[in-house]
Amino acid sequence: MRAGVLAALLLAAAAPAPALEFTPEETRAILRHGPWPPAWKPDPSNRVSGKPAAIVLGEKLFFEPRLSAKGDFLCATCHVPYRGWQDGRARAMGHVEVDRNTQSLLDVRWNRWFGWDGAGDSLWAQSIRPILDTREMGGSATNAAALLRRDAEYACRYRDAFGSTPPQADEALLVDIGKALAAFQETLVSGRAPFDDFRDALERGEAARAAAYPLPAQRGLKIFVGKGNCAMCHVGPAFTNGEFHDIGIPHFIRRGEVDAGRHGGIQRLNASPFNLLGRYNDDRSGTASIKTKHVALDHRNFGEFKVPALRNVALTSPYMHSGRFATLAEVVRHYSELNLDRLHADGEAILKPLKLSEEEIADVVAFLESLTERSSAIPERRPLAPCADASAAPGSRRSIRD
Amino acid sequence: MKGAVAAALLGFAVQGLACELPAGGYFVDSPRYSLSYRTQPARISVGEHFALDFSVCAKDGRPPPSAAKVDAWMPAHKHGMNYRAEVKSYGGGRFYATGLMFHMPGLWQFLFDIDGERIAENIPIE
Repeated sequence: MRAGVLAALLLAAAAPAPALEFTPEETRAILRHGPWPPAWKPDPSNRVSGKPAAIVLGEKLFFEPRLSAKGDFLCATCHVPYRGWQDGRARAMGHVEVDRNTQSLLDVRWNRWFGWDGAGDSLWAQSIRPILDTREMGGSATNAAALLRRDAEYACRYRDAFGSTPPQADEALLVDIGKALAAFQETLVSGRAPFDDFRDALERGEAARAAAYPLPAQRGLKIFVGKGNCAMCHVGPAFTNGEFHDIGIPHFIRRGEVDAGRHGGIQRLNASPFNLLGRYNDDRSGTASIKTKHVALDHRNFGEFKVPALRNVALTSPYMHSGRFATLAEVVRHYSELNLDRLHADGEAILKPLKLSEEEIADVVAFLESLTERSSAIPERRPLAPCADASAAPGSRRSIRD
Repeated sequence: MKGAVAAALLGFAVQGLACELPAGGYFVDSPRYSLSYRTQPARISVGEHFALDFSVCAKDGRPPPSAAKVDAWMPAHKHGMNYRAEVKSYGGGRFYATGLMFHMPGLWQFLFDIDGERIAENIPIE
């Protein structure tokens, strides 16, 4: 009898606490954040999207210092694979410190706009920007094109990926470099996090599986989809609506100088020869460029920045466009104590100080941490065999991995 | 969509007018105009661009309008779309708007502007 009671107590101790009750409205809001991962769809603006040979070429280019002016910077300098494809710094460091935080590349393929200000309307266009930016890699179309033409390994991999020899025009070849880089970055996808198991269990009505999700995370989720209003913008499987909002983060960069955010981003987008309305868009249907054609430049865009995705957010500190906050607790506290004076008068009217207790802040942080899956942030680098017919191309056979 | 009387619109025509609203849409009425619309795709999803096919008839027997505008906003949030719709007229009061996108869930409102008259239509978005 005594042993039976003990067994029951042990079982009770081992069994997870039951899941919280979620209203139908809360449940619908939770289900919007999945399933994960979404189905693969190639980027119609990039003719080598999803093509294995382009992914290999893009990976080599991602770790290629010769794309930079002095051979001292590569994409991975800021997008560090073992740091969740960002750099852990408040603001990125190129040849000089730039004004914004490096965003993770995990799940980057699901962005509508790229960069904190959305100045890029495709992943391939966005991949060109740091190559040319004098504060970052400081390279040029001429330099990048010469590398692909003269290096036998690259020339070979270009033919494999694009099915032709490199184009004569340096700018066109730079665009293809961007498209190969994009093909590689499209493969960087977060794994399934504890939240995903909870969300799917909720959808299937599997109470026992749902109850395995820690209670603090459940309470935090309830705030996230409820009184926190977080899920208004952090919506969808990647936890972002992909658009831009002013949330009261100071946008002064230096004394007398502000970061215009989305307002400047739209202006740069419209001026870019690489935008989807230009000649380098491979989508002939016009579907991919609808957003670029119709995007509106308004006064309220000033000081707006992109809503970041939240998957693997626990691995990508510091936070916000300027890297202002070191911890997730500071981020949540920002919303809890929101300074409405910092918001534009014509901005988002639903933003109000949440006035969360310390316990509630800890719960929201627990929920955010449950969006993290650590193994995808530490990718395996696989060895790459030399390109099959590299000897047929002029120049050196030396691989960048040598 | 409070004007969701699509089935009842089958064969609808504004009484006494040559202008006829097509069947299969949602119906909105204002003091001077009758309007029917449908979205493409039919179900609007957050963060997905969509188009709007709409037709307008004047109630007082005048010819149908040759120009119209459409926009949308979230009344509770006091902001609109991040995209500007482009409206093409196909004559006879028929219009086709492209480039619309709702970037947040919640209650949106279509705002049709026809000859100085604004017609609002609530659109709850999941």
